[in-house]
Amino acid sequence: MTTQSEEWAENIRMLVESAGAVVPEDGSLDRIRAARHQAPGFERDVWSTMGEMGWLAILSNEDVGGLGLGLREAVALCAVLGRGLVPEPAVSALHAIRLTEQAGAVPQDALTGDIVMVAAWQSSPLSLEPSKGVELTDGTLSGTKIAVDGGTGADVFAVTTPQGLVLVPRDAAGLTSTAIPMHDGTICAELHFDRVAATSLPCPDVDNPLYEAMLLHAGYLMGVSEQAFEITLDYLRVRKQFDVPIGSFQALQHRATEIKVQLELARAAIHAAATALDHKAEATVAQMSVLRARTRAGGLARLVAREAVQMHGAIGYTDEADIGLYTRKVMVAAGQYGSDAPLRSQFMALRETVRDQQGACA
Amino acid sequence: MTVSPPFVAAHPPHPDFNAMTDAEFRTCVREFVQTNYPDIPRFAQRRLRWPEVSPWYAILAEKGWIAPTWPQNLGGMGLEASKHLILIEEYERHGCARVHDIGTVMLGPLLMQYGTQDQQDLYLPRILRGEDVWAQGYSEPGAGSDLAALRTEALRDGDTWVINGQKTWVTLGADANMVFVLARTDKTVKKQAGISFLLVPMDADGVTVRPIENLEGHAEFCEIFFDNVRIPLGNIVGEVNQGWSMAKALLGHERVFIGAPRLSANALARLEAIARREGLWHDPAFRDRFAVLAMDLADLTDLFESYVQRLRDGTPIGPDVGTLKIFQSELYQRISEEMMMISGSLAGMKIGDDGDRQMDAAGTFLAARPTTIFGGSTEVMRNVLARGSLGLPK
Repeated sequence: MTTQSEEWAENIRMLVESAGAVVPEDGSLDRIRAARHQAPGFERDVWSTMGEMGWLAILSNEDVGGLGLGLREAVALCAVLGRGLVPEPAVSALHAIRLTEQAGAVPQDALTGDIVMVAAWQSSPLSLEPSKGVELTDGTLSGTKIAVDGGTGADVFAVTTPQGLVLVPRDAAGLTSTAIPMHDGTICAELHFDRVAATSLPCPDVDNPLYEAMLLHAGYLMGVSEQAFEITLDYLRVRKQFDVPIGSFQALQHRATEIKVQLELARAAIHAAATALDHKAEATVAQMSVLRARTRAGGLARLVAREAVQMHGAIGYTDEADIGLYTRKVMVAAGQYGSDAPLRSQFMALRETVRDQQGACA
Repeated sequence: MTVSPPFVAAHPPHPDFNAMTDAEFRTCVREFVQTNYPDIPRFAQRRLRWPEVSPWYAILAEKGWIAPTWPQNLGGMGLEASKHLILIEEYERHGCARVHDIGTVMLGPLLMQYGTQDQQDLYLPRILRGEDVWAQGYSEPGAGSDLAALRTEALRDGDTWVINGQKTWVTLGADANMVFVLARTDKTVKKQAGISFLLVPMDADGVTVRPIENLEGHAEFCEIFFDNVRIPLGNIVGEVNQGWSMAKALLGHERVFIGAPRLSANALARLEAIARREGLWHDPAFRDRFAVLAMDLADLTDLFESYVQRLRDGTPIGPDVGTLKIFQSELYQRISEEMMMISGSLAGMKIGDDGDRQMDAAGTFLAARPTTIFGGSTEVMRNVLARGSLGLPK
């Protein structure tokens, strides 16, 4: 009999193996490099492959055509995508799919990768409140959603509103999409809705899909960090100055170990948060766990990004060195799906809630 | 030194604690502590000395609770890690003093793994009964971070070892009647390969103890001098010259437990109390710094539990455990520094055993200092991580 923990570990092993279909095992970043700054910032045929692999259906229940796997598996998958700097908007799509699942209306072609459906949830750069930014009145949607990852190439937007979820096709009358080029070569969209005809789907909990997406994004950031760190360690081992490998210098070794410390913390926090969500822990407890995991992953990524450039020296500041692709990715991704200031203040707010509940029980 | 009379070790058979729910076990511990904790200081910031803490040791021994993680057939509680954490949390909640635990935490498990049957039969019950109070003799004046450079020497003479040398920073050494010592038994080989693990009675002829007062003003550690000290040939654990690998195995376990979030959690609770008292709790700048510390503590707890899980599964603890030890000790220090920063002119106030220890900023600051030094200094841990874990060149 296999235990539950062995089962998810085995699932993860198989997923990671299958990821070779999109993330070259030799670490080649040729595709990533070529696709930069080209609209829409990602490739539709790769998207189709991801759909065929079942990755977009990973979290969804089997009764709606999903794989029914947990966050631990999905986070591991996102980490592999991060390692390969995959620009296809998987996290945003999974977020959108989970929202439609809440509403009981998962588009099958979104699960299979035949269309690109992404989440339009954020109203301002620091916001973690998915219902803000738009209003639904008299059957029309108006307002603005920003920083929609993959938004310039999406077919459908899953828009979170105070009145539930609205699915808006990209060619809907009254929708204006502005392309926002990002430093990593992806292209976000800012969406303006001007009395777009809309039907709202009931979506009892817009927060849970957001927290899942924050955690998946933490997994992606961890993958980016792991790979950038490994590339940098390789460089420290082989680059010689003063007739010795620079990795033999204690000053650099000690700084490298700080990355290791932060990486271990991120891994533990992400695993704990994924376990909390998989085990349906009490919502506040699980959310605090996700907030930590996301914060740690962002801090880790920024630490790796700046140390990677410094430890590579001048070559690290060139566009031709692959390590720079990681640094640019971090500049963009570390601020998506949460950034330090709002993550910390939200953590403190939830901490007080928990304290009050405990006080009331005592 | 005299050790109190042996404690009774015969206790009623234990239930299967691990089969209890967490809540049941917590209640069980809480009731036991509330009913039985003796009239000795609670929430002590310093280690209590043996005459002060021995009543609590006796109560735990009588209950059969002195060795929480030992298997039940050897006199322990047989707790798995999650239950052990609950036990620790409940002791902390009540402010129970830490008993002298080198015997139960360090030597006992070592003997179970490497000791002979005779050694186990002799020493384990004596630890359980409090007849032997053990100290750890590792560091020397010339061998701190570079422990393998130790020079205390044991030479074989017929059926005895003759020990000469000096150990230092021996925690609570003046309370011990037994000390385990790493000694050089072969000078002709690589320094790590010539070390043995010896068991020495403190009342042997030629053993002298000199207490050392620490920065907090407590004589918590001491020096031990060995001047032609003779011990039986059988007072060795493992084979001759195998001491280093055994000592390293012990250090791996020690680092997991130094990495426990207990100290930082206590300090963070005190930081919150000070902030509330000083009207800083709603100050946005303070709150943001507090949030960083609170999230660090929670992440540390996740990391600690992942190592506890590895111990439970029997997965070897590799050099990565240094990350846990480094982060917990540095976090404890960062919290203590924040306590100093918000305590203002009262930061340096000396608070005695009867004072409000919650407010003891300087005491916490000082107590946090050695955690980045003992059990492998942060700098040595980073060297070990860089080479052993990251594969960086020497």
